Amino acid sequence: MAEARRRTWLPATLGGRTAFWLVVALMAVQAAGLTIHALDRVDLQRWIHAREIAGRAFSAWRAAVLSPPDRREQMLADLDLPDAIQAEISRTPLVRQGGPPPPPEMIRLFRLDALSSGPPRLRPREVRLGPNRPGGGFQASLRLPDGEWLNLRVQMPPPRPWHSATFLAAFLVMTGAAILLILWAVRRLMRPVRLLAAAADRLGRDVNAPPLDEAGPSEVATAARAFNQMAERIRRFVADRTQMLAAIGHDLRTPITRLRLRAEFMDDDEQRRKMLADLDEMEQMISATMAFARDDAAAEPASPIDIAALCRTVVDEAADARPELAEKITYEGPERLTARARPVALKRALANLVSNALTYGGAARLRLSTGEGGMVRLEIEDDGPGIAEAEIERVFQPFQRLEESRNRETGGTGLGLTIARNILRAHGGDVVLRNRPGGGLTAVASLPG
Amino acid sequence: MEPAPHILVVDDDREIRDLLSRFLEKQGMRVTAARDAREARKLWPLGRYHLVVLDLMMPGEPGLDFARWLRSQSEVPIVILTAMGEETDRIVGLELGADDYVAKPFNPRELLARIRAVLRRANGEGPSKEPPAKVIRFAGWTLEPARRRLLNPDGAEVSLTGGEYELLQVLVERPNRVLTRDMLMDILRGRQAGPFDRAIDVAVSRLRRKLEDDGRNPTLIKTVRGGGYVLAATVERG
Repeated sequence: MAEARRRTWLPATLGGRTAFWLVVALMAVQAAGLTIHALDRVDLQRWIHAREIAGRAFSAWRAAVLSPPDRREQMLADLDLPDAIQAEISRTPLVRQGGPPPPPEMIRLFRLDALSSGPPRLRPREVRLGPNRPGGGFQASLRLPDGEWLNLRVQMPPPRPWHSATFLAAFLVMTGAAILLILWAVRRLMRPVRLLAAAADRLGRDVNAPPLDEAGPSEVATAARAFNQMAERIRRFVADRTQMLAAIGHDLRTPITRLRLRAEFMDDDEQRRKMLADLDEMEQMISATMAFARDDAAAEPASPIDIAALCRTVVDEAADARPELAEKITYEGPERLTARARPVALKRALANLVSNALTYGGAARLRLSTGEGGMVRLEIEDDGPGIAEAEIERVFQPFQRLEESRNRETGGTGLGLTIARNILRAHGGDVVLRNRPGGGLTAVASLPG
Repeated sequence: MEPAPHILVVDDDREIRDLLSRFLEKQGMRVTAARDAREARKLWPLGRYHLVVLDLMMPGEPGLDFARWLRSQSEVPIVILTAMGEETDRIVGLELGADDYVAKPFNPRELLARIRAVLRRANGEGPSKEPPAKVIRFAGWTLEPARRRLLNPDGAEVSLTGGEYELLQVLVERPNRVLTRDMLMDILRGRQAGPFDRAIDVAVSRLRRKLEDDGRNPTLIKTVRGGGYVLAATVERG
């Protein structure tokens, strides 16, 4: 439910959201700018129209004044006045005496007050002005010297703020360019965030991952520095813990040695055998813990080794250690296969995988082959019950043991698979577990060839 | 019957010193124990020791320095006790001329077996009178005793089990000499505590496979009629 409520129509990424809001803001600014521009344009249009109309109206008046009375109609028609002006000669005025004046805006726009000035020859004997309803504009009745009237009906054409061929194209190009610029800038701006996320991810996998570059804008540099300091503190913390673990393992060697020697003086053979077995187990647990803590794999130099011989050694040693299972411990693969690896670490990884297969699966069939891209592929099959898919990654966590294994007294430290995976990953490979369709578990390890 | 071998044990832990002394005495040896390198230097001229068991991890003078000093004084065999996982100490120790090593926490029986094996070699059975070899070459293969590793003709490391390594070492130390199964068992017994109880033949066949020696027609480790093996190769030590 919470998930559903939190779903939003906003883009998922920070960059997307920033870009989104920037584009919205840009649109608003564009819209405001355009409106201002349009209003301005409308004003200008009106002014130009008014000038033109005023001029034409004056032409009409001149024609009426200067032509003989019988030719006035003809002259007016010859003027070819625009639609906005209707002119007629009449015995009666269109505007009656004492009516309301036209709106003051019209007087200003058309400079109507200038009608009664001008040279006396052309000056109207009487001017009557009134509003033009409906449609805006004005009406004027101008008395000619012979007593006839020139009646004018002037209309303002409606404003056409968007009337321009290039306007739409210009608008689209401008907006498009701005959006592209925003996307580019946001991507650049978000780069440090992506780098930080990548660095955090790397740190999660490897505490000793290289530090972040502390260059760039000050906020970015501060964040990078803080991140690096955090990484350093984590590294120190891990190192302290590791050292503690190693110190404990180190200190336990003396008491174990003493106990082994004491056991040699025990008279009860059975008890002595059991005690020595317990001590062996303790030693194995300590050495596994120390191998995990000190990450021996990283310290050992890599050299060319014969992987096939290594597999045989691991298989043979496992068979020697568990003669009762010897027949189920097999190797299948080439006689020889050379690859660069850290021999002691890799042997430990394979021994752990084989030992795991034997302990939980009662068999260990090791198969060696070369896969695609020259990768060395190692499969270790067992005949056990497998692992529930949900748990299959969890077993690689340190000190994680499945409930069944705890109850079954199978022993072990819960570090075997962790160490194996650490070692293989340090080699640039990996190990995963797979349930086989027919039953049984297969550990698939890969190693660069 | 030879006189009981006299062992000098140098270890800083009193309990271990005492217990180890008692344990070795129970096995028929004479033991003198020293707390550290200083005491061991004092004790050295006072007795004739057949072997020194030396803990490398001691307070005061480092065990490796004492081992170096000891080598300058005598050819006495040295078995070093190293810390688990301290590879470099072990390698340096063996390169200094220690005869064998046991990792702590050690198994007393394994230590006893190593001591016996080293004593047997020192008694003229092996070529250990010669300075220890850093590398041993045979038929293109290279054995590095200090690192306990075998390199194939291409220079790649070929992993060996403990038993295989011990067997190979015995064979290369006695090239072109027929070693009967009984002799091999006798030399190897106990050198590797547990697993080597398995038949010699199994170990030989495994070793042949690792050395790419055809088991049906071996040329390197030949089977001798009547039950024995011989390493048919020229061995170069260096």
